[in-house]
Amino acid sequence: MKNTYKTLGKIFVAIIMMATPLSCQDHLDDLRDNPNAVTSIDDAALFTKAVRSLFQDTTDDSAARFAGHYAHYFVAGSTARLPDQYGDGFDVQYNQMFTSMYGGVIRHIEEVLEITSSGSTENEVRHAMANVIAVLGYAKLTDAFGDIPYTEGGRGKTQNILRPKYDTQEFIYRDLIARLSESIAILKVADPAMGYPNSDPMYNNDLNKWMHLANSVRFRLAMRLRYANPTLSQQIVAQCLTEPLMETNEQNAYMIETEGNGNKWYTMRTGFPSIKMSTMLIDQLQDTEDPRLPVFVNEDADGGYSGMTNGLDDTAFGTSNFAAKSDMGTALSSKESKLYIMTASEVYLLRAEAALAYDNDPNKANNLYRKGIETSMEQWEVDSANISDFMARSIASLSGAEDEKQIGTQLWLALIPNYFEGWSHIRRTGYPVIADRTAANLSQGVTNGRMPKRFLYSSFELSSNRDNVMEAISRQGPNKIDTPVWWDQN
Amino acid sequence: MNKFYVLIVVLGLSSTSFAQNNISGRVLEKDTGIPLIGVTIIIKNTSKGTTTDFDGHYQLKDVNAHEVLVFSYLGYETQEIEVGNQTTINVSLDSDAQQMDEVVITALNIQRDKESLGYSVSQVSAEEVNVAKENNVMNSLSGKVSGLQISQGNTGVDGSSRILLRGVTTINGSNRPLVVVDGIPISSDAGGGSQWGGVDRGDALSDINPDDVASISVLKGAGAAAAYGSLGMHGVILITTKTGAKKKGLGVSFNSSFSFTEVALTPDLQNEYGAGAFGEFAPIGGDGRPILDYPFSWSWGPKMEGQSYTNWLGESDSYSSHGNPYKEFYNNGYTSSNTLAFQGQSEKGSFRMSITDENSRGIIKNNTLEKQTFNIRGKSHLTDRFSIDGKMTYLTSKVKNRPALAEDGANTALQLSLMPRDIRLSDVANNTVNANGDEIKWNLDNTFNNPYWSQEYVKNIDEKDRFQGILAAEWDITDNFKITGKSGMDYIVYDYTNYAARGSQFQSSGLGNYGHNSGKSRVWNSDVLATYNTRISDVKVTLSLGSSYRDEYSSFVNISGTDSKVPNLYRISNYKNSYSDEGVTKKGVYSYYGLGQFSYRGFLYFDATLRNDNSSALPKENNSYWYHSENMSLLFSKLLGIESDIFNKGKLRGSFAKVGNDTSPYRTQTVYNVDQTVTLPYTVGSIPASLPSFDLRPETSESWEVGTELGFFNNRLQFDFTYYQTTTKDQIMAVPISGATGYETKVVNAGVISNKGIEFQLNAIPFESDNFQWDLGFNFTKSTSTVESLNEGLESITLNTLWAVSVEARPGEEFGSIYGYDYLRDNFGNKLITDDGFAQKGERVKLGSITPDWYGGITNRFRYKNFSIHTLISIQQGGEFYSYGRAYRMFFGTDARSLEGRETGIIADGINEHTGFVNDVPSDPMLKHYSDIFTNEVAKDQILDATNVKFKELILTYDFPSTMLRNTFIQSGSISAIGRNLFFIYNAAGDIDPEAGYSSGPTGAALEHSSLPSTRSYGLNLKINF
Repeated sequence: MKNTYKTLGKIFVAIIMMATPLSCQDHLDDLRDNPNAVTSIDDAALFTKAVRSLFQDTTDDSAARFAGHYAHYFVAGSTARLPDQYGDGFDVQYNQMFTSMYGGVIRHIEEVLEITSSGSTENEVRHAMANVIAVLGYAKLTDAFGDIPYTEGGRGKTQNILRPKYDTQEFIYRDLIARLSESIAILKVADPAMGYPNSDPMYNNDLNKWMHLANSVRFRLAMRLRYANPTLSQQIVAQCLTEPLMETNEQNAYMIETEGNGNKWYTMRTGFPSIKMSTMLIDQLQDTEDPRLPVFVNEDADGGYSGMTNGLDDTAFGTSNFAAKSDMGTALSSKESKLYIMTASEVYLLRAEAALAYDNDPNKANNLYRKGIETSMEQWEVDSANISDFMARSIASLSGAEDEKQIGTQLWLALIPNYFEGWSHIRRTGYPVIADRTAANLSQGVTNGRMPKRFLYSSFELSSNRDNVMEAISRQGPNKIDTPVWWDQN
Repeated sequence: MNKFYVLIVVLGLSSTSFAQNNISGRVLEKDTGIPLIGVTIIIKNTSKGTTTDFDGHYQLKDVNAHEVLVFSYLGYETQEIEVGNQTTINVSLDSDAQQMDEVVITALNIQRDKESLGYSVSQVSAEEVNVAKENNVMNSLSGKVSGLQISQGNTGVDGSSRILLRGVTTINGSNRPLVVVDGIPISSDAGGGSQWGGVDRGDALSDINPDDVASISVLKGAGAAAAYGSLGMHGVILITTKTGAKKKGLGVSFNSSFSFTEVALTPDLQNEYGAGAFGEFAPIGGDGRPILDYPFSWSWGPKMEGQSYTNWLGESDSYSSHGNPYKEFYNNGYTSSNTLAFQGQSEKGSFRMSITDENSRGIIKNNTLEKQTFNIRGKSHLTDRFSIDGKMTYLTSKVKNRPALAEDGANTALQLSLMPRDIRLSDVANNTVNANGDEIKWNLDNTFNNPYWSQEYVKNIDEKDRFQGILAAEWDITDNFKITGKSGMDYIVYDYTNYAARGSQFQSSGLGNYGHNSGKSRVWNSDVLATYNTRISDVKVTLSLGSSYRDEYSSFVNISGTDSKVPNLYRISNYKNSYSDEGVTKKGVYSYYGLGQFSYRGFLYFDATLRNDNSSALPKENNSYWYHSENMSLLFSKLLGIESDIFNKGKLRGSFAKVGNDTSPYRTQTVYNVDQTVTLPYTVGSIPASLPSFDLRPETSESWEVGTELGFFNNRLQFDFTYYQTTTKDQIMAVPISGATGYETKVVNAGVISNKGIEFQLNAIPFESDNFQWDLGFNFTKSTSTVESLNEGLESITLNTLWAVSVEARPGEEFGSIYGYDYLRDNFGNKLITDDGFAQKGERVKLGSITPDWYGGITNRFRYKNFSIHTLISIQQGGEFYSYGRAYRMFFGTDARSLEGRETGIIADGINEHTGFVNDVPSDPMLKHYSDIFTNEVAKDQILDATNVKFKELILTYDFPSTMLRNTFIQSGSISAIGRNLFFIYNAAGDIDPEAGYSSGPTGAALEHSSLPSTRSYGLNLKINF
């Protein structure tokens, strides 16, 4: 009896031991798949993500904390104001901006480019549209930092490159322009059905508009090379002028953020940190009786317009009565406000500049200058009578004496609310003039009071991708905010 | 007196009338016949004696026939044998569980003699946790067990605790020990808020009812825990709950306690300067109220001398301080707990049922806890050879208004600590909402809330139901072969709602918000274990084979909304913008294991564990991994036969273990997420920021320990010493990668952490008599974790951040280095001061470390007749933390330390950066602190020493004497007066509690931000058994 028990027991254990492994591997396989996500997706969904990220990035820290201050558009409150003092102690933000620009537009558009270039999902039209977005994404990155990983950038997943090498800004600009040229050629003759019907937050798959945008962006990039490589710049500009450029506000590249709490300018105006418009901007608009004043700036509590002086030191800021100053205009900062990547008015004004620089044709320049101002005012739905009044004034025509300055100043205004582009524009042209800070109540930061010229590579990038970033620094110059990027040679 | 005469007579007779013989013989263990070595044989009432040799033999010369030999051996029943005419006396000693030195519960709930263990185990009795009760049982262990580090944040009622056993062994991951209740591992993640706020939802350990606990075993090393596989990598806390026992009387027991909680420690605030800046009042606005925008909302105004001024409400008032707002705002809290238990036992089985009701209120008046626990445990011998054991525990708890923490605008402590020093708290209380329904507050900064507004209009309810069930069966197939099977689950359902009313800019720009998170989690463990006992010559062998399956499942649904349509309705339909999210996580692990225990003649023990786990979280090719552990214990005092009354125990032990570990699910696959969108007509997909790994391997941890246990004077003095070392390799972590890859992290096997330490425990009974006894205990732990390497090329992994301070893992440094900016200095360490007299931002350097030099505790217990006094003092030496709370209070000018240089300016110590002369230029103190702390992010001055000595526990107990209870139906009873966390005997950080972090993660103790005040509690505990 005892032995029977013993034998039975052994058999019992043996059965349990043997039975479990048989079923378990299958069961573990069932558990391995993530039930909260999918393993393949239509690239349209990722394209949408990338396009949306591009627009959202026009309100990110690069604009709200850095470029908006550097270009003297506004002064933000609390810690968002600190870069206005021209310091460089923003390692966390530098890294965060670098990472999120790559992680938003680039991560998703690189995946789209991969999907649309191979296998059964190959699609040249989609690829061409994705290239336009990729160009805009990389252009902002290189404008912000200078040399950046480009040929190997954003390839963490597609090519498993974890320490991408840096490319020179010159190389990047040439390649971006080439990519746009290819896209333009394809988009001109593309069948819209091959594009992104029902997935395009910007133009609703209007490929004609896409083609206009691609050429206009190419024009912007070409003008950015004006001082760094005038020959190339002129050559590309000429090429751009043979293709259609954006000419009406209907062609503007914009998006309205309807998700979440709305766009950042809305949440900043109504929430925290608050945001007040700059004295320099208000003075410009008031001095010229520009009808865009109430568009860009809200009245203060006293019914007037009062701006914040950029660059106040802590003591001066403390006594500045920040809370009582004029907010960002409701037209720019309501829930319905549009976020812009590029507008027809910018293109006209760039063409005005090109007409002066490359065609030496002041008349043509003046016409384009006036068209640019008018288009900008129409974009903001300024009353037509007010537009006519303004257009009649001398400021609305090139004087022949300070044409570059006039065009530059109008570009600065026309670029609102794309504040980052405004800063790039000032870096390139020097207009409007951002005076060096010498007054006792202004902070001179680490630049001796000169407007900063780039963002820093973060200490994290310096450690995680050291050899490559060091090579870029040795080419480009010290990793400082007053080291100009390649195209900044004015 | 009679005995004495008899003795004289006997001794007299013996010396004259009996012959003397030489006696020899052998001493064997009764059950096994194994020879026992080192058995003490003494001739009764003499000092003459000997011990058995290696084969159990002994010899005694010249023994009188009337004399009595006393055979004694630790862990065995003592035998006395009269010599008579015998010359050979063979004895079989019976092992005696009662007498066994100490029986401890070890892995897989196997009860073992502590002497046989090759690793360090500490056992804590029920009394330690159920008299001076804590809502979280773990807090009662603090300071009592070497190697165990527990800190309790000030995060409100039912907050979580940070628990580390032998320090940190993995870079990512919770590093928390596994908690096993009656053989079933339960979930117990850390809790807490973030630097930006949130609340501490508690850890699941507070669900263990102290009154149901029978004992707690702390298995410290991997050697002890290897049987639990990867779950036991950070050690195991084994909790055994009470089963039915035979009791005199009815078998009913009642345990009741009540205690008050009061504010014990608040920051030192200054009382001399009120609202304003640069020594001036704020400008008065159009509405007649001062414009309290920063810096005028800070306390850098004129000196308060009772002068007339316009207060923040725009009223004329006298300008003076109104004392400590903490004391006024916070109330006394309380905790009451009542347990009624019934138990009984018969030949066939036993049962125990209990019900516990706990209620408490925190120092914030609407922060409350209600918790009920039902527990039923039954055991039955269905046949002589087959028994079952079952348990069901049901717990329901409701915590209301867990307080907001850290930078959260609704953190009342933050608001109180920064409130201008001239503001009367009653004015704030009486002015919370204006006619439009908007919040009234003293400043314009939208990140702040009026503390009374947030107390009234920012609320949450955290409800939880938890079910634990276990069914176990044991089949003794033969006397030496048995099979046990067990299945147990831990099932949690939670439901958390939070809302903020409209009207406060901080709360969704004045629109109000609502959130409702619900979810469930289930951990189900089933195992079967076959055990076979045998004896091969002198070796006792126990072999076990087992297998188990662990199934983890959790799911959640979160909904949230902003912009309420009508007031006072907190349902999702009332919100214009709403969002939702859901997810499911599943994981399974199959395991197979074998255990062998070998004991040789009661002085040499060896045991080994081999285990194989197969996890669904790892790639199919690498999902199987092995562990093993080998433990040895040698009672050298027995081996050498040197045991005596003075030196009664000497043991050496050693242990080696290799443990593998898997990871969280879904890290080995590339996926796309579908973004939730509400307004968009198209689909938005996204790619997760973390790159998966396709060739992930299990991480491995190798550890060894050696230790000794020494007993003197019949164990009245005992030492226990351990040295251990653990190296964890191939750690699975998402390492940060260059953002230029398009991704933020990549999951890899990387990094090595080594962890070494010593533990020392001393227990002594310096005095003992019938009426008075003094027990003294001391424990000491020194544990250091060093990051040996990270992923190639990676210089640092940031583990936690607060403002510009981070807690980092860097190769070659201690785990948990605190990094932040120092001042700009020259090569000699002098601060370089600008011409304006300001210090400047310098390098980012290591400013401190979370790891203490050592920590420990001293316990004393004095018993006089029926009275006893128990005290516990906990000690931490070294270690640092960063107080952002103090940083804030400094530049807001509310801290008492901000009084320096108010009238004269502060002359920063250092040298002028241009001239090199000692700086003599004063700077405005407000600008100096603002510039140092805020603009330059220098954290140097707020890195505080965490060294402290705390009077943690005082218990006075009176046991009702049996004479008093003789004519009642009460069998026994006691009443205790209790004090917990009474005061700091020494606190290097002065006015800040070094344990007051806002999260209980492994690095949570490094960062403090405007924590709620620390509390102490006093109360009474009554125990009665009927």
